[in-house]
Amino acid sequence: MPSDLDRQIEQLHRCEPISEEDVKKLCIKAREILIEEANVQTVDAPVTICGDIHGQFWDMVELFKVGGFCPETNYLFMGDFVDRGFYSVETFLLLLALKVRYPERITLIRGNHESRQITQVYGFYDECQRKYGSSNVWRWCCEVFDYLALGAIVDGRVFCVHGGLSPNLQGIDQIRAIDRKQEVPHDGPMCDLLWSDPDEISGWGLSPRGAGFLFGADITRRFAHDNAIDLIARAHQLAMEGYKLMFERTIVTVWSAPNYCYRCGNVASILELDENLAQDYKVFAHAPSDVRSIPAKRPPADYFL
Amino acid sequence: MSAAISVPHHTLKESPNSRAIEIGDWVITARTNPISNAGELDSLQANVGGIPLPEMTFGNNSLELKHNASGWQCLFDTEEALKGVKNGELAEGDGGVKVGYADAWLKSRTGPSSELPMPKTVATKPYDWTYTTVYAGHQMSSNPILWQLADLDNPSHTIPLAELTRQDPILFYAEIPLYEDELHDNGSSHILVRIRVMPTCFFILSRFTLRVDNVLFRTYDTRIYHSFTSSLPLVVRETSGWEAPYDWVKRRLPKREDLTPLTDATWVAKVLTEMPSEVSQQAGAGTKWRGLGTRMEVAVLKRPEGDA
Repeated sequence: MPSDLDRQIEQLHRCEPISEEDVKKLCIKAREILIEEANVQTVDAPVTICGDIHGQFWDMVELFKVGGFCPETNYLFMGDFVDRGFYSVETFLLLLALKVRYPERITLIRGNHESRQITQVYGFYDECQRKYGSSNVWRWCCEVFDYLALGAIVDGRVFCVHGGLSPNLQGIDQIRAIDRKQEVPHDGPMCDLLWSDPDEISGWGLSPRGAGFLFGADITRRFAHDNAIDLIARAHQLAMEGYKLMFERTIVTVWSAPNYCYRCGNVASILELDENLAQDYKVFAHAPSDVRSIPAKRPPADYFL
Repeated sequence: MSAAISVPHHTLKESPNSRAIEIGDWVITARTNPISNAGELDSLQANVGGIPLPEMTFGNNSLELKHNASGWQCLFDTEEALKGVKNGELAEGDGGVKVGYADAWLKSRTGPSSELPMPKTVATKPYDWTYTTVYAGHQMSSNPILWQLADLDNPSHTIPLAELTRQDPILFYAEIPLYEDELHDNGSSHILVRIRVMPTCFFILSRFTLRVDNVLFRTYDTRIYHSFTSSLPLVVRETSGWEAPYDWVKRRLPKREDLTPLTDATWVAKVLTEMPSEVSQQAGAGTKWRGLGTRMEVAVLKRPEGDA
């Protein structure tokens, strides 16, 4: 198996999809590993924390150039591997192959895009159809999504989650009680962890959209204090400078998709925590645009009406 | 056909983030840049009344039209487009909506069967989170023109589709996004301005497209047409809004399982415009949004007083 797996990692690293049969085996193996993980996976420093990737495969290759490849560097990815970019298939499968090959070296937690409903709208479903001619790969990947951890804690001091906090979860222990093996629900604490955002308010706020929470500095500080943590690391929101520290550095947004959607022009970052949990934000730009099939900056002239 | 069209003299200018064409009396400049940085966003936010800005705000993008003979100047830019977004509590005509699962979500937190106590919440700033705007460009000059309702019997008061579908050479083309937001994965809202300059005319389409998953689709188009050959320097502008419930649009998908056409603004606009106007321009999605309907206007570009 390892030699097969090494070959698949090599192939995926060249951005070449592996066979449908191999995907199936990989997903089964991944589920066996993920089912053993806790809702809040325990991780040891040093580790490099990454935010949203969104199928921007060549930018993830840049990320590995900046941070070092796995297993030389330990990684923790905070979700949103798929959708929007052109290579969700290769991106997610490479991360998954690394997870199966080096389960102790890489941690994958779930983002709100790791969901059946969202991927049907934002591109991953369509990409699987195009690249494999059927929805099997999409279905197997979605089954893996259901097993991904909801959060991680590094050396008991840095709490990592895709979105943010929930008013129904005061302690990290309460997260451990959630039955996570399901599609991301539309409400409840599991939904909050993947969807909520910090905001310049005090207390809890309701999103003007009619669903979803915003949480202020006081909430963040209380959660940090009650759970004896130094920092909450989360992703989920684009940060033009690659990361954004808030609330006297109790929470940080890490964003790892440079030139988001191939047109935002933003830089990205990864957060390196050393063995003493000292934070080093490494900022990087998008892969050179001459790399294969990134669309030209200029759209072709169109006889629109 | 296009061989018969003579291409008028024109000059193109190009820099990495801006392109311009000078043709006849016109100078047209398209600026496309990365999204605004943190500092630019802060000042933009202050200028638009403090609403949270869209995730992708292209604050340095614009399309500028300058008519040298009359001094008329027209601009499409992000700041003015965002000033068209309702800031404050939404009222009749604003077309406000909630996300599809808002009721269920709230009930799960507050209903009698809820096991999840709702926390005490603070008021957050009210604004139209869908970033709906009926922005149709704005005038810069000290010599503004007056838009007047088109005369339906006057053949020059229309946008001539026959001319615009003809495959004449495109002398200048640009696509200028102003802003875009994924509504926190509850849909998408964006406004894109496009222009093409042809041997005989220029044509602009500024299109706002909104999708709120499981709720509705909304499109607001502004088209501006000017013929270089008209005897009067006439500008024609058509503004139109359409809306329909999400499921009505979804029903027209070519493949039931593949929802990606729903993210294609051109496909959505086609579906909305092909619906009977009583449906998509009057009933809409039942939001009573004031942008529904179509309006055709014209304006004559005049020389400033005393300059003749």
